[in-house]
Amino acid sequence: MRKRLGIISLFIILFVGFIIIWNYSYQTGLKDAYIPIIENGDSNGVFLSENGVFKNSELALEYANMPIDETHQRTLETYYNNRAYYGAPPFIPHPVKEERSMGGNTCLQCHQSGGFVAKFDAYAPVTPHPEMINCRQCHVAETAETLFAQTAFTKEQAPKVGVNNALPGSPPMIPHPIRMRENCLACHAGPAAPKEIRVTHPERINCMQCHVPNNTNGIDTATFIRDNNNYDE
Amino acid sequence: MYTSITNRREFIKKMAVLSAMTAAATMFPGILFAEEQEKGIPNSANLDWKKAPCRFCGVGCGVLVGTENGKAIAVKGDPKSPVNKGLCCVKGYHSIMALYGKDRLTKPLVKKNGQYVETSMKEALDLVASKMQDTIKNHGKDAVSIYGSGQWTIPDGYAASKLFKGCIGTNNVEANARLCMASAVTGFLTSFGIDEPMGCYEDIDYADVFFLWGNNMAEMHPVLFSRLLDQRLKRGVKIIDFATRTTRTSKAADSSILFQPQTDLAVANAICYEIINNGWVNKSFVDKHCNFNKGLTNMGYGLEDNYKFKDKPEKINFEAYKKFLEDYTPEKVSKISGVSVKDIKYMAALYGDPNKKVMSLWCMGMNQHSRGTWINNLVYNIHLLTGKISTPGNSPFSLTGQPSACGTVREVGTLTHKLPHGVVMNKKHREFAAKIWDVPVENIDPKPTYHTVEMFRALDRGDIRFMWIQVTNPMVTMPKLKRYRDGAKKEGRFIVVSDIYPTPTTDIADVILPSAMWIEREGLFGNSERRTQHFDQMVDPPGEAMSDTWQLVEVAKRMGYEKQFYYKEETHIEEIYTEYRKHHDNKKHNMAPLEVLKSQPGAMWPYVDGKSTQWRFNAKYDPACSNGEDFHFYGKPDGKAIIWQRPYEPAAEEPDEEYPYWLNTGRVVEHWHTGSMTRRIPVLHKAMPHAYVELHPNDAKRLQIKTGDKVKLTTRRGEIILPASIDQRGVPAPMQVFVPFFDENLLINDITLDSFCPISKEPDYKKCAVKVEKA
Repeated sequence: MRKRLGIISLFIILFVGFIIIWNYSYQTGLKDAYIPIIENGDSNGVFLSENGVFKNSELALEYANMPIDETHQRTLETYYNNRAYYGAPPFIPHPVKEERSMGGNTCLQCHQSGGFVAKFDAYAPVTPHPEMINCRQCHVAETAETLFAQTAFTKEQAPKVGVNNALPGSPPMIPHPIRMRENCLACHAGPAAPKEIRVTHPERINCMQCHVPNNTNGIDTATFIRDNNNYDE
Repeated sequence: MYTSITNRREFIKKMAVLSAMTAAATMFPGILFAEEQEKGIPNSANLDWKKAPCRFCGVGCGVLVGTENGKAIAVKGDPKSPVNKGLCCVKGYHSIMALYGKDRLTKPLVKKNGQYVETSMKEALDLVASKMQDTIKNHGKDAVSIYGSGQWTIPDGYAASKLFKGCIGTNNVEANARLCMASAVTGFLTSFGIDEPMGCYEDIDYADVFFLWGNNMAEMHPVLFSRLLDQRLKRGVKIIDFATRTTRTSKAADSSILFQPQTDLAVANAICYEIINNGWVNKSFVDKHCNFNKGLTNMGYGLEDNYKFKDKPEKINFEAYKKFLEDYTPEKVSKISGVSVKDIKYMAALYGDPNKKVMSLWCMGMNQHSRGTWINNLVYNIHLLTGKISTPGNSPFSLTGQPSACGTVREVGTLTHKLPHGVVMNKKHREFAAKIWDVPVENIDPKPTYHTVEMFRALDRGDIRFMWIQVTNPMVTMPKLKRYRDGAKKEGRFIVVSDIYPTPTTDIADVILPSAMWIEREGLFGNSERRTQHFDQMVDPPGEAMSDTWQLVEVAKRMGYEKQFYYKEETHIEEIYTEYRKHHDNKKHNMAPLEVLKSQPGAMWPYVDGKSTQWRFNAKYDPACSNGEDFHFYGKPDGKAIIWQRPYEPAAEEPDEEYPYWLNTGRVVEHWHTGSMTRRIPVLHKAMPHAYVELHPNDAKRLQIKTGDKVKLTTRRGEIILPASIDQRGVPAPMQVFVPFFDENLLINDITLDSFCPISKEPDYKKCAVKVEKA
């Protein structure tokens, strides 16, 4: 009898122990499954990443020495016409050879360093971000002319050229965001650069020593007012 | 290079020719910029262009300022200037906008019952003079002081030195350059016995390898960095960025090598070890032109008031030096510095290669260093051991950060121990100065008083009662700022501040004097390559604003020194400069006459027989060499430079458990120093509106901090909250953070440490321990 009681109480203890342990592990399991949400700050812009500013610099001297092929120049108008709005990724204005391939094998063959493409009678524009090889995640081809339904969307005015100087003759500020376009020379130098924004001095390389952005995402500090002075009194 | 072509076949042919020419890489001479730049400037028929050195950094670019109807309206690089050959940086191009901030100080302000009251310049100067006389009467001559600047023009600094050292008789003359290049000076004096670089910027056109020692040149000396990049395109030179933080410079460099803060001392010694061990020593050069010395070690860090240190140089021989270097094998140094053995050997091999010309460049990384004099010595050691010095392209080159740190502070000698020629401790030097100054020689006190940090401590303690601050903003730039701000605000202190805008320093002033800025007056600056440059007055100063020189002259006259300050208002700059030149009337330091400086974009001293000297100590170029050898280090009595045995010692405050990160401070390309000028230039403020703290991405991830999040930095001095910046302008190494100091709203110097190099007394702004938390 005593032996049986002993066995029963042992099982009861084991059962209670199991319940407690199971409950505990269930609770902690719940806790682990919870991923705390990190509070976002007021802004996540602050300043511009500069990765890639010097990326095409080894080509700078070649760019500087290249004669201008007047008959095959791109214009800023065609540059912007190739985008849904100012700042949008350009769409692909030509037929695509391989539907199922990564950019490294196809797009970059022409768009990494540029060059004349006889088939399109044009120079291939150079991508500022060749390290991102899933090109067609952002750049899509235009295969149809008509729309599913009309749209009321209107394009935002793109920055103008020649109005970004603070002083007569001072170097123009950068009027556009540079995220993914930190590589200045990709768009501003070489035969595919739109003629209005083709830089006359690509060999200078350290572009941001003279040209600074005019619209950083910095936290707006508002005009500073000194509070411990009373100059007017 | 704008050639047009329409025929494709011809185009391809021409391309082939061109690429061959590119390989030859002799296409464009220097910086071709000015001509095409002028195209963009509107019809400049009414514009009057005049030359000036740039107002900002120590590079000393030549600029042309265009004025119209009494206003400065445009700037371009001066194509005739051998410094920048027509190029500027973004600050230079927009510099004139700093003249036209709406809150320019135009009237003197005197504090009465806690309020600033406008007064006339005459009254304000009367008050300054009488207050100074009262203080001398009640507390002695060493209770008055002047704190100036590497932005002082040469006449400003000269007038200040003459008034305080010559007339009043106190050595309480210091300048903010103590905070930026004092270690460079003591480095030169200990290694060569005479200050300032032996080479010049033209070295850049000859060197094959460039070592940047903790110098983010792409942002801090962008125009010179452009010359480096230019040479790389032309000649394929190598740029090595040796730093503690990944910057714009690292990205442009051929190789970026990171080291742990303070361990540059060990790495420099390891490079010397490798040079000796591999037989790369230039034996004949070392035998003929070098001595070996060692000095005291365990010097301390100057953290306590009244700290004193005097080095005791002791001659050693080559064998002893070689023995000492055995502690610095690449393997041993690699462990403390975090630099791989391979990288140390790579650097040593570049320095050691007899066929490569090497230029080392540095600025605040080496100067603002608790062993600043030592690290300067150690880099000279490398150049001396290999004999790569004083010849075109072989150049250890100490850069400066202010337009006239060299010209005014180092050459005029506006430091407590200095005279325009020599030091106050030397009787002959005192007699020489007293004669030119027309004062009794007893006036000049033979004992130096306070260096900058100690001067502000003396103000806090009450040993100094009167301080006149000109052209500088110490209430942003002093390390451990809070102590010195509280000290300056104490009862019984009288502070005069001459400036162009209200700043945190004018906030502590009893009298604010409005100054004329840069081209609103005539003046001269001296840049890093010993080039003295003159500028005319081009526009009128606003309101009653007056040049700092003339403020000093007016006060001197009121104090009864009319005899010494005999200058006429119309011609005083010329008179002062001509008088100043007398101090340097010798082959080693002769300054160019004013008419020469007016006619060309500057001249380099020693200016002998109508010619600038480009490479000092080299008999081929320097007429002061007189020993009949190829080289003559005439700064030292025996004509030999010194190779110093200097060990590695840790920084004053290193990270520990409680404060586990390194805190580094510095500048950004857009803002110049405390931003009192550049923040009032809209282009620059919009590009860089506020300070931030850079973290390494891994640290940020661990602390769950994203760009823009508020981060709290705490040191033993206090705390500050700043927005985070991750993987943007710069990336510090893991467990390090970086904060720029330009922002007067976010005063990082409130929490920095006032440790300094015991020899140079220059504070270390680059290293202290900090705790980093998400706020």
